[in-house]
Amino acid sequence: MTDCGCDKAKAELEEYLHNELCSADADDIREHLAGCVDCESELHVGRVLTEAVQRACRETAPGDLRDQVLLKIRTIQATH
Amino acid sequence: MLTQERARPLVATPRMAWDERALAEVDSALMSNSTPDTPPAATPDPRDLFEEQAIPFLDQLYGAALRMTRNPADAQDLVQETFVKAYAAFGQFEQGTNLKAWLYRILTNTFINTYRKKQRDPYKGTISDMEDWQLGEAESATAMSSRSAEAEAIDHLPDSAVKDALQSIPEDFRLAVYFADVEGFSYQEIADIMKTPVGTVMSRLHRGRRLLRGLLTDYAADRGIHVASKTGSTKK
Repeated sequence: MTDCGCDKAKAELEEYLHNELCSADADDIREHLAGCVDCESELHVGRVLTEAVQRACRETAPGDLRDQVLLKIRTIQATH
Repeated sequence: MLTQERARPLVATPRMAWDERALAEVDSALMSNSTPDTPPAATPDPRDLFEEQAIPFLDQLYGAALRMTRNPADAQDLVQETFVKAYAAFGQFEQGTNLKAWLYRILTNTFINTYRKKQRDPYKGTISDMEDWQLGEAESATAMSSRSAEAEAIDHLPDSAVKDALQSIPEDFRLAVYFADVEGFSYQEIADIMKTPVGTVMSRLHRGRRLLRGLLTDYAADRGIHVASKTGSTKK
């Protein structure tokens, strides 16, 4: 790889993506990304992946699950 | 903390007296085998608080339970069990702290104890923290030459393909990805929920996302979705 900061950026890209870097490190990455098409496109794939997972995992519980849960805890409350 | 409390016996004494009274009430209630007709005054009904605060997380917990158990029937059982346990323990929940994380901890515990117990040691087979992203270098080598094409392909995949891919990666990785990317928990919160060090969370998350990316990219390539521009443009 090169010595232009790509190694550091690639190693920390996941943490950058998940907002886990301290602001100074995040600034470093941001600065690098602004000038590096390669790392920027890697970040973009990461973002798209996150969004795809979020979209796919949106679930609505079956209507009667809520009723069953409420019934259960109210029964416990009543017999408590 | 402790020394401070010990240094204030005047504050502690009335509370203990109240506790004794409360305990006596419980005792007599148990002995007479009936509930006292006057509930303790001033204490809000915990059920109301629980329903109001915890039930709104039902859809989210169900989504997580689905990813854990991989089938709707078990997911529903798991969610029910989680809410019953959470309700029973709700007195220990400290108002103002993160209820969502608290519920996820109970969900994850319940899942591990009930559904995973007989499968395998959940802490076995996890990789060390450092080798992870280095290993990933090889794994992320993709069939598609252009990253923008790869991103576009992943972006256009049907939800079912993403779910299938998620289901097929190892459970610890899958949960780390779910907690971070779907629920937006911080690494520290995930570490608390999964009862692992933060380094392990990072490694599971990286590994999981790399596997997922590889699977999704392969899936897209197999179906000819947005094949890399170099070869794709010659088609016609």
